[in-house]
Amino acid sequence: MKARKRVVTSGPQTPARRTPTVRRIKSAIVPAARRPTSTTSDRARAGAPPSVPVGSEAGASVDLAVDLGRGLVLATPLIAASGPFGYGVEVADAVDLGRLGALVTRGTTLRARAGSPPPRMAAAASGIVHALGYQNPGVDAVIAKHEPTWRSWPVPVVVNVCGESAGEFVELVSRLEGLAGVAAVELNLGCPNAARGGTPFSVDPDAAASLVAAVRRTWDRCLIAKLSPGAADVRAVARAVASAGADAISAIGGVAALAVGGPRAGAVLAGPAIRPIALRVVHDIVGAVGVPVVAYGGVAALDDVLDYLAVGAVAVGVGTAALADPGLPTRLAGELEEAVVARGHASYRDLVGTARR
Amino acid sequence: MTTLLAEAELVESRAILPGQWIGSFHAPHVASGARAGQFVHLRDPDSTTELLCRSVPLNTVDPSTGIVTLHARSGAIGRLRVGDRVGLVGPFGRPFEVDPRSRHLLLIAAGLGIAALRMLADEAVRDGRQVTLLFGATAARDVYPSSLLPDEVEYLVATADGSLGHHGPVTDLVPAYEAWADQAFAGGPMPLLAELARHAAGRRERMGVAHLGRKRGGGRPEPPGSATARRKSFLQVALDQPVGCAAATCLGCAVLGAGGVPLRTCREGPVFAAPELDWAALS
Repeated sequence: MKARKRVVTSGPQTPARRTPTVRRIKSAIVPAARRPTSTTSDRARAGAPPSVPVGSEAGASVDLAVDLGRGLVLATPLIAASGPFGYGVEVADAVDLGRLGALVTRGTTLRARAGSPPPRMAAAASGIVHALGYQNPGVDAVIAKHEPTWRSWPVPVVVNVCGESAGEFVELVSRLEGLAGVAAVELNLGCPNAARGGTPFSVDPDAAASLVAAVRRTWDRCLIAKLSPGAADVRAVARAVASAGADAISAIGGVAALAVGGPRAGAVLAGPAIRPIALRVVHDIVGAVGVPVVAYGGVAALDDVLDYLAVGAVAVGVGTAALADPGLPTRLAGELEEAVVARGHASYRDLVGTARR
Repeated sequence: MTTLLAEAELVESRAILPGQWIGSFHAPHVASGARAGQFVHLRDPDSTTELLCRSVPLNTVDPSTGIVTLHARSGAIGRLRVGDRVGLVGPFGRPFEVDPRSRHLLLIAAGLGIAALRMLADEAVRDGRQVTLLFGATAARDVYPSSLLPDEVEYLVATADGSLGHHGPVTDLVPAYEAWADQAFAGGPMPLLAELARHAAGRRERMGVAHLGRKRGGGRPEPPGSATARRKSFLQVALDQPVGCAAATCLGCAVLGAGGVPLRTCREGPVFAAPELDWAALS
């Protein structure tokens, strides 16, 4: 009897199995290692001095540390403002977050919010008008998903919190209590206050102060109060939140704005267009209170950072401009260090408040 | 002013319609692997007023020469001269998905919506499919020139004032092709897309399409947002939302999905299967 012929269709190795095709979606941002370095002509156009890598022998001696209170010390005054970097994890493989002083997260609320209907953005002269409607997965989901990652990062993470009432803020902040990955909270006082018919907390010194005082009772780490412009006297609001227990004040949030055919309810203007407004507000706040002030508003180049320091801010955040150029905040951090060295200062604090003297 | 992530040189530029412009860029980094429906981020480095990149759908792509053409509103970008260098990154987003079995493709566009569909027409013609393009405009002067389309495409026009082609909205032309088409692809203003989506939702019942397969309902549902979900839906739409970061971070381009879940145009889109979106909230 003849043995039955076996038909061998493939070699001794295991037959090739069909694997699902995974199409990788290209990131908008070229990872830091692959990013083409700017050419000399680029730098000449920008008027910037030649690059010196951070941590080189020239930069090692410069003091850049910023103390925002209650143990939150930033390694450098350049921070990422709330918004463009989301929760940080979105850009962590493309941006060297360790070179920033802090990362402020996207506005986070107690419960998940789906956000505003489109269109959410419209272009404006030197800026954008946007209304995101506080889209976020809610604080519990954020903690579960991102807090373990934040713990392993060298950069302190500041959670920007939003709410419509003091009770909501307090409950939200109590969820963040005791988490090692959260270095500080930033209260967004530009949120509409439901108890006052949607008037933002930041235009009303009493509402702002009672909110800060309520949160202060549950939160014993660094507490930053973020003010928006629009108050009749921003100095009064700043004094109120500082005496209510805010460790630091940040300003400004977006300026209330509108674009026909663009975003509708709750839209704000952001970007270089608001820089002169923000500079004035920061100047006034610094004059009114003794707590550290963090400046936001249209920072797009080193000169803007130096302007904010000159009016007395101790730290400067980059927001909207990082959307178009995610490498900007870390680059500015390096450029600031170079500028301190080039001017022959031992500490960046020699640049702070120079326009006030 | 800023360091650009990737640059491209403008090699040809022409105004094709009032306020609309087609520019050809030498951008091999974009051309390789790009698919119809995807978009790029364009930024004029010397513009002081336009802060963000502009998201522009790919109009045509030639991987062999690295030439990418973009069709967009003129504005500051339209004033670029040949030889100027701009920031051009991409391609981003999910592309149109054509079922390999589809022989007849129906393309529906109005205004600048054609910018996202032009490349799909190229690909479909190359693959030997029959393509019909229905184009809507307000008047004859805004009608996309047929000379810019492949010869094989059947081209029908509707104008709101009746100055060219059908007098009325482009949606009037759709029912005649509904039975012919295996798949439909649309681009244009949100109300048009919403109207088409409503129409497409009732197509199976009107056409009496048999539900084939082992189980009633066709077995497992496709995961939302997957390429298969788009391939199997009759209508795919390309949204034209301003995109802020294109890194799925800023949430500026989010639209509401059918389950109340926000979907980012730059990551989950810009091409969506019509049933994936919450059309009541969008229109």
